[in-house]
Amino acid sequence: MVRLPRFFGKKRGHRRTGSPAWASLGDGAFHAVLLAAGLVFGGLLLSGVAVPEWRMNHDFLPATCTILGKGLVRRTAMEPAGTSPSTWQPCLRVSYTADGRPLEAWSRPSRSTLTSDRDVALDKLSAWRIGDTIPGWYDPADPGTIVIERGYNWWMWLLALLLPGALVAFGGSGLARTMRRWGRSEERCAVPSRLTDILDPLAAVPRQAPDHPGVPSCDDMMNSPGTFLAYRLPIESPESWALLGFGLFALLWNGVLAVLAVGAGLDLLGGRTDWLLLTLLVPFAVVGIAGIAVFARGLLLATAVGPTQLEISAQPLRPGGTYEVLLAQGGSGTLASLEMTLELEEQATFRQGTDTRTERLTVWRQPIHAWHDLSLAPGTRFEGRATVTIPEAAMHSFASEHNAARWSIAVRGTSVRWPPFTRTFPLVVFPAESRGKAAMPARSRGAAS
Amino acid sequence: MTAVADMPRPSPRVFVQFCRPDRRYDPLDAIDIRYEAEGLADDPPRAVEHSVLWYTEGKGEEDLGVLFFERIVDQARLPPETTAEGFATRLPPSPLSYEGVIVKIRWCVRVRFFFTGGRDYVSEHEFTVGHVPPARMPRVEVS
Repeated sequence: MVRLPRFFGKKRGHRRTGSPAWASLGDGAFHAVLLAAGLVFGGLLLSGVAVPEWRMNHDFLPATCTILGKGLVRRTAMEPAGTSPSTWQPCLRVSYTADGRPLEAWSRPSRSTLTSDRDVALDKLSAWRIGDTIPGWYDPADPGTIVIERGYNWWMWLLALLLPGALVAFGGSGLARTMRRWGRSEERCAVPSRLTDILDPLAAVPRQAPDHPGVPSCDDMMNSPGTFLAYRLPIESPESWALLGFGLFALLWNGVLAVLAVGAGLDLLGGRTDWLLLTLLVPFAVVGIAGIAVFARGLLLATAVGPTQLEISAQPLRPGGTYEVLLAQGGSGTLASLEMTLELEEQATFRQGTDTRTERLTVWRQPIHAWHDLSLAPGTRFEGRATVTIPEAAMHSFASEHNAARWSIAVRGTSVRWPPFTRTFPLVVFPAESRGKAAMPARSRGAAS
Repeated sequence: MTAVADMPRPSPRVFVQFCRPDRRYDPLDAIDIRYEAEGLADDPPRAVEHSVLWYTEGKGEEDLGVLFFERIVDQARLPPETTAEGFATRLPPSPLSYEGVIVKIRWCVRVRFFFTGGRDYVSEHEFTVGHVPPARMPRVEVS
């Protein structure tokens, strides 16, 4: 007798893990539904739009048509509110010869002539005169079907290919990934292969240094030469992204506010007063002004202190190594202090309900150098040199999909006029080449699943 | 993928012997594992997997990196025909074992038996790579 898999698995730390079997089943079902929806949607679009249009442009045979009559095709959609919007398409009654037989039929209206404006359709119709001869194309499989205009509706093709294509690709790759993992151990699934990259292109695995699994690549840190030392370190500035976010918010909010305000102003000029709109505009305006103020303050603080640059004598760093660093600080005014510290930060990303959260913890910090009472003048910059030593037994930089150990040099400044600031320059520390003494105990454990 | 028969089965016992008794290795060292499995005579496995891997532990979701993996389905190399097996590989330069505060990196050897009916049993044996001392300095910033 075989039992169903349990919904909850083992307790891991303070969290209870779900059943991998049910999770795989759910994941597989979700992707199967997406795949099926993509196939059905794609099939409908292909059979209803793409294939008939392709046949019309490739299979239909030419014929000379004589116009016998003109008309409009009206399509009316009944909507719940009682309105019944109509669309119009001009079409012609034509006579032509197909397979040696004289035929007479209404032309199939082209999708590109569809309009909701009857006058536009009539204008189009007036371009044709009864008795004129025009080119047409008839269906060899059904000679009674004739068209007087051909061509492709690229929007429909794009819709037919892109939307179902995306659903099929996402659902298909997800289903293939689930099937590939089904019944396999986590070790077997984790064995690197080309197929893994194809089936899981969205996995946020950081770029790794060559021949150093788990160590992040430092290529991006070595492509900018310094003015005095070998490399200029890139700055990590989460505040800049926050500032950009505030700027975008202020722009969008005040854009919407401006549209509403113009509408309210036009109403007032026309002698109408929409009190509800005016009442709503007041709190909207307060939020809009506050958004601009926050953005302006952030921009002022970000630019008031002046740029900070850091150069280093070598990359990548190794435990036990000593490196020269050059700190350059621009701007104007007086800095009460400017200090550099070497830091190791651990970073763990985990899911909490539907949220993905990242916790950061600085687990090691060592001062490198500090300067006091610096007077900065516009057009010049303060330059200070120091040496930094990576501890002999230091952990190397580490980055995997959800966990990281990141080294950096933090520059903290205290300005006389402005709030304190921190600027972080990431480093990559490779594992030591020398060998030391062991420190951690070994453990064993056994488990059945 | 667990399907359990109604009657409880005795768990196998796996005795692992590392080429270094203290289980402490340096990067790029060769690692040689011998193991013996007991308690498999009544329910012989249909396959066994050997792996050498690192995984993360701590607050974050678990990440896994497999250095060595082999799956044995040849009955001649499976219990009860064979009760002792071994495998060897060379360790990479990284990642090193790390006892951080919210991020830990552990290296281990796993021997996983697969039985008929979908049941499996994994035996995990930890070892250390490198000599990084534990990290300790709490200061939390959650974003």
